[in-house]
Amino acid sequence: MAFWFYRGVRKGIATTRYPSTVDPWARGLPSAPGFHAARLTIPLVDRLVGECPAGALTREDQELVVDLGRCTGCGRCLELGTGAVRSTGEFLLATSDRAALIKRVPIRGDREASGGG
Amino acid sequence: MSAPGPPKALNGDGASLLPRADRIHTERVETTRLASLSHVLATEHGARLADLFADDGADGQIVLRSVYALDHESRYLVLECEIDRDRFPPLSDLDPAAFVEECEIYEQYGIRPDGVRRLNRVLVPPHRADRFPRLGRREGLRLARDYEPHVVTGEAFEFPFGPVRVTGWESLYMGLVTTGEEVLDLYLFHWHKHRGLDHRLRGLEPERATFFAERADGLSSVGDTLAFCRAVEMATGSEVPAPAAHTRAVALELERIYNHAAAVAAMCQTTGLSVGQARSEIVLERLLRCNLAAFGHRYLFGVVSPGGVRREPDAEEIRRQLPGILDEFRYVVDALLVTNSHVDRLESTGIVTPGNAHRLSLVGPVARGSGQAIDVRRDHPTGPGDEPVPVVQVQPAGDALARMRVMVAEVEEAARLIDAHLGEAGAGSEPLAGGGGAGLGWAESPRGEALAWVSLDGDGRIDGVRLRPASVRNWRAFDDAARAQNVFTDIPIIEASFWLTVAGFAR
Repeated sequence: MAFWFYRGVRKGIATTRYPSTVDPWARGLPSAPGFHAARLTIPLVDRLVGECPAGALTREDQELVVDLGRCTGCGRCLELGTGAVRSTGEFLLATSDRAALIKRVPIRGDREASGGG
Repeated sequence: MSAPGPPKALNGDGASLLPRADRIHTERVETTRLASLSHVLATEHGARLADLFADDGADGQIVLRSVYALDHESRYLVLECEIDRDRFPPLSDLDPAAFVEECEIYEQYGIRPDGVRRLNRVLVPPHRADRFPRLGRREGLRLARDYEPHVVTGEAFEFPFGPVRVTGWESLYMGLVTTGEEVLDLYLFHWHKHRGLDHRLRGLEPERATFFAERADGLSSVGDTLAFCRAVEMATGSEVPAPAAHTRAVALELERIYNHAAAVAAMCQTTGLSVGQARSEIVLERLLRCNLAAFGHRYLFGVVSPGGVRREPDAEEIRRQLPGILDEFRYVVDALLVTNSHVDRLESTGIVTPGNAHRLSLVGPVARGSGQAIDVRRDHPTGPGDEPVPVVQVQPAGDALARMRVMVAEVEEAARLIDAHLGEAGAGSEPLAGGGGAGLGWAESPRGEALAWVSLDGDGRIDGVRLRPASVRNWRAFDDAARAQNVFTDIPIIEASFWLTVAGFAR
């Protein structure tokens, strides 16, 4: 069994400092989307809602409701909402409060396009 | 590839009912002929029962489909038979490989094979039997009266293990029947993970359904999704661009490599070789990061889509990372195979005899570790025609060590295939041709042949679907392997060497 020890020593330390420091490789992980309120329009939001296979997106009147507890980071909204949707890079979402995972984004694109406030 | 001739059972005169260009032939048969045809196919034509399932037919009837793989002819044969009463011919009397599916058909449709034999509960949870979504739901159906009673007699007792088990292992109840140490019998309850996916996918568009199909069995997501998408493509008559076909092959082999490395790590865990486990898991973690760098997802979700692929591989990252990871994998495996405490625990443990592997129509490394040279990448090729043919890795012993050796050899073969496909791999997806139809798809997932049957209605939505991951076929051999003179502590080793998923069975 000694050779396992020597092989281990030769390979060096394999552990990392996570979670005190996020590993650089983790930047590439799929993460929850972020939305630019000023670029969201109702037709676009409706398309995003229809496309989300996990049911994480819904529209309530003039708001996009994002349930990060349902989001799987599949990236379909990123493909569809170019310019209005971005990847946040945030994957540490654990919380003991379910409501904290519900985000509300006002839909402002229509108003700005029509010159309204 | 040579085609020795069609199944004479179908037409009796040897004339070809199966054009060579066709990968699939569907034949309607009378209920009265089904059992005898199945017998002739298995005994005279070397056909392998790949699947058996029921579907909704016209006018409220139920259609029974048995899928036979004619591996030496590179074709699948689908026998369709309309059932107009509550009974159908018992295929499992002649072919034991059909029994689990017969139980499943009973649960989903309430029809059962003729004969007095009781059935096993396989998927529908007993405490939710009346409320759980089922295909072909029949009001007032009381399933429990036809189930085999769960009885342990004599000096033996049932040692309960699960469904909540070690951290990281799936929910599964094992009832180990024993008089002390040796496992005399085994009850497996998979239903804790049943999600009724075949039911839930109905009415969805294929693109949306793919999202759920690839989550049926997350560790075989590429293999299972590939089978599903190929079924959709066959149903619609759609073609896949050649670069996308190569990308699919790269993703499939990456999935095979990380799964086999995970199985080796699990085998180390179960033999108590924690330092070997740690080193194997370092390899596994590096492989998952390589997947992330190559395709944007550690478990390769979101790569395959109907008509092509959604992503192309980062070839440079694969070429940069994979060789070093494989060197480390070889380094670990070399050490494992000279560690007596590890090898001794695997040798002669969980034996599946070649006869049983054939009789139960097993697939994947479990079958190949028992001398069955079955691999749909070679036997049922689907690529653009210039793809490299894999060398099928076979070991005859049928024990856990044989399965480990098969997996280790397949990692090397997978690396060779990735290298061959990578230069041609690219993005691309063709829109699905409109309209309805039905199709069968297949892929060699890390656990073996994955199958999917899809029928689409006139609007292109899913009318009926059958997902059959490889785990569905191979769990039936676990009982036999566990009973083959094994003790309690052998059971986790056998489970690791099978490297199946409960989710894949109970989808």
